[in-house]
Amino acid sequence: MPKFIVYFAQLHEDFRLPELDALSKLENVRVEYDPRSYIRSSPFLVVEISSSEQAAKLVRRAILIRSIIEYWGSGRTYSDVYSEVKHEQERWALYKTSSFKFTVDAFGKSLTQEEKVRVINGFSFLEFTGPIRMRNAQAEFFVCEEYDETREPKIWFGRVVGTGSRDLIDRFDVKKRKYLGNTTMDAELSLLMANQAQAQNGMFVYDPFVGTGSFLLTCAHFGACTVGSDIDGRQIRGTAGFKRGVDGIRANLAQYNVESRVIDTAVFDASRNPWRPGPLFDAIVTDPPYGVRAGAKRQGRVGGTKSELSLRLVDGTPNHARPDYYPPTEPYEMSFVIRDLLHLAAEKLVVGGRLVYWLPTVAGEYTPHDVPEHPVLQLVANSEQPFGSWSRRLITMEKIKPLDSHEAVVPERDPAHKNFRDRYFNKFGPVA
Amino acid sequence: MRLITHNMLKCHVRNCDNPDKQFPLRFKGAELEQVEAERNDEFLVRMIPRLDWRALLVTAKELGIELPENIPEDPENDDAFLQALHTAILETHVKEGSMVCNGCNHEYKITKGIPNMLLAEHEI
Repeated sequence: MPKFIVYFAQLHEDFRLPELDALSKLENVRVEYDPRSYIRSSPFLVVEISSSEQAAKLVRRAILIRSIIEYWGSGRTYSDVYSEVKHEQERWALYKTSSFKFTVDAFGKSLTQEEKVRVINGFSFLEFTGPIRMRNAQAEFFVCEEYDETREPKIWFGRVVGTGSRDLIDRFDVKKRKYLGNTTMDAELSLLMANQAQAQNGMFVYDPFVGTGSFLLTCAHFGACTVGSDIDGRQIRGTAGFKRGVDGIRANLAQYNVESRVIDTAVFDASRNPWRPGPLFDAIVTDPPYGVRAGAKRQGRVGGTKSELSLRLVDGTPNHARPDYYPPTEPYEMSFVIRDLLHLAAEKLVVGGRLVYWLPTVAGEYTPHDVPEHPVLQLVANSEQPFGSWSRRLITMEKIKPLDSHEAVVPERDPAHKNFRDRYFNKFGPVA
Repeated sequence: MRLITHNMLKCHVRNCDNPDKQFPLRFKGAELEQVEAERNDEFLVRMIPRLDWRALLVTAKELGIELPENIPEDPENDDAFLQALHTAILETHVKEGSMVCNGCNHEYKITKGIPNMLLAEHEI
């Protein structure tokens, strides 16, 4: 199959291959590559795809891919590159009279304008006779000198056949949103999660910890219909905290043209949810509360619920029926939040549906065993975003079979994210 | 709240577990609003098997909304059916009012289109 160069963004390195994988399945484009050739510190990966059209389709939604380039040559020197390019002279003929453009880039170094011009002139053997167009050229050629710590360059050359969707990051920038809160996920990661979930037209996506609704927006942008719930109605309605007075999540819908696809939000406890039994959703995309910025809580009372407190009469009315009644909550420990989330996903996802969520972990203590398991959910991806003493991991799971009467696997050891909130505020000192 | 969501919610008060009574929730004092929305046939067709049609008919009758009694053999190509379904479940919003459980009489209030399904302490 023809070779192409994937030109990644050089950040969130752990997330790049999982996104490529998710898009390959979503767009139904087969992509082959040697996983050993993937280098975290490099923005380039050589892959094989059946055609340029398929290659463009593969990356069109990508958040961590800048572009995809038809491979013409690479090497340590320009001579090496020229030799390789000269092996396929029939290919140049296709672009002899096309309008064209050369983009010269360097990774790990800066090139002066003169150096760039010299690089372009080095390719004059191609003898293109068409006009140079800086915009809307029929053929765009890409040259990049990649430098690593050894300062030995690797030179890449090819024809750009498709671009990713990094422009969406600016469009969804949280600073531009009418409504946001202190737990609002940044645009790049919210969009990435929508790709991991393979959000697309026809799908029904749920966020059980919807907060200010970032994932409802990004999944709806890619065509899915979305619903969200949260135990805290104020976050949904926008009646407390940031940008008070704005209509909560609804304020963002018109801004992103997704009013028809963000179906509803509701106030309830994800761990005591009122969904009717059986699979309802194609994906669950969420950032559960770690208990740090947003206190993780569930309905209940520390020490046990006291029915008499909600039933007692106050001025002739049962307490719970009074307009200012707010039911009590109890702390919701992280490992239980996640355990319940997996149960929820196992029950409410259709087979083939995905769960995409963030798992906080303590650096240095985390092992892969910490990623919770469930008999009907298969782990698809696990990407780390490090913050020094802690990390969070974007976990993608896929429901592989119907839920019968399976029990969840009981973990043998306390995972490193147990009591995450306390450990965070104790600066991850040793466990007592 | 759109009717598609209502079709998926049941009463979850502790010990209220008669499936015939706890679902669908009955509307009380419902203030409706029709809001035009872009029709999405792929989504509609995909959701048909996930809807509880019997319950949807009960609710539609309750609110005076037109909905065919039966799902056609080939809904994908039945434009009239899809339009009726679209209007009923995606364009009909309950803005205010409440949803009442026929089993335990718990009332879930709806404010500005957002239902509050938190339970009181004695119902958890």
